Amino acid sequence: MSLRALFAAFCFSCVLLLGATARAEELNIYLKTSPALGLLRPFADPVNISLLVTRPDGRPVEQGSVAIVLDAPTSGPLLSTDFPVVEGSRLLELVLPLRQGRTDWKYLFPIRGDYRLSVRVITLDGGAVAKTFVIPIPENSTKWMWLGLFCAGLFVLGFAAGRIFTAIPAAATMSCLLLSLAGVSLVSGHDAPSSGENPGSSATAVEIAAATVGKPTRLRWRAADGARATTLLSLSITHLEKHKTVFAIDQVPVENDYPVNFQFPDGAEYRVNSLAEVAGQEPLRTEQLVAVTGVEPPATAQIPALLSFLTVIALGLGAGRLSKTLRIR
Amino acid sequence: MMMQTILPRSELMERTLTTWLGYALSERQMFLIKSGIFLGACGATLFVALASSYPAVHDTLHNVRHALAVVPCH
Repeated sequence: MSLRALFAAFCFSCVLLLGATARAEELNIYLKTSPALGLLRPFADPVNISLLVTRPDGRPVEQGSVAIVLDAPTSGPLLSTDFPVVEGSRLLELVLPLRQGRTDWKYLFPIRGDYRLSVRVITLDGGAVAKTFVIPIPENSTKWMWLGLFCAGLFVLGFAAGRIFTAIPAAATMSCLLLSLAGVSLVSGHDAPSSGENPGSSATAVEIAAATVGKPTRLRWRAADGARATTLLSLSITHLEKHKTVFAIDQVPVENDYPVNFQFPDGAEYRVNSLAEVAGQEPLRTEQLVAVTGVEPPATAQIPALLSFLTVIALGLGAGRLSKTLRIR
Repeated sequence: MMMQTILPRSELMERTLTTWLGYALSERQMFLIKSGIFLGACGATLFVALASSYPAVHDTLHNVRHALAVVPCH
């Protein structure tokens, strides 16, 4: 065989081996959210997330599937979010089919920070392309306002104490101050759910593993009678206390088995609804209640916040003493 | 009949304590001691209110914890 023929054979082999990947890499993946990215807030409203996969000429990929992995933001340098166990963990894993190049689902982002959405598109011809999106979720401004007011209150408390302690004959006794501390505003809380799963009836088609905050829970939908017909599956998870949908997919064509890994972000009660529609049959609805086991936040997340609040009080003490001594002079 | 000056209760307590301990403290030292005790009491109160897992306290202040954005909860 001549060198030229050998080279040609090598090039042909390369084209055969790498052709599918090369084609797949030409795909474009677009992310769209509703509301728009800048308007998203944690634990506000469920976000409709859409993915559009197109070919280089702009035509949508007719058929294929999308493997989706959503990771939570990592921990901040000093102060944690209100769900520290969720930080840096895997939130969602599922595979959705592409319909006319599009797929969508609903999700409620639990905490602030930059989420990483990893998408891997697999087309019918075996090509695959992956892309990672960063979804920034800023904190709700109302929470910052409450935090500011709380710190202002602590500062005023320290300021008053600083003035009182500076005077030699104390104007008020320590007990009065301690009593004033007890006046912490009380608001209604939530019912503490019992840990563990509330098992559904044996007729339900969704199997839910024991749910614990901090790690994904496996939800598995199965056709009730092992039917092989393609089913349009709608699945929704609702936070019962907040009355919010935290995850939902709508009329996804599945075979007799469909798994989803979903992390319940809060130790509360959730309701999992499924609706299976098979052509020519009555829709099958199921409903299950899940009591998610909460996880105690680590001390490394609690101590910085408490120290910050104590620092604010200490600053107030210093300011109060300073105001008193300056007035005396 | 001799008239006796009535001292404020807090001053009386401080004098009693000073006599009992046998030494006097400067005003600055007293301020530091009082502030230390005060901060300790505040820290204990904040810990119970915002960080303890005691169900009655947690459930009552659950929404407060989440409203403050930086206070961890389960």
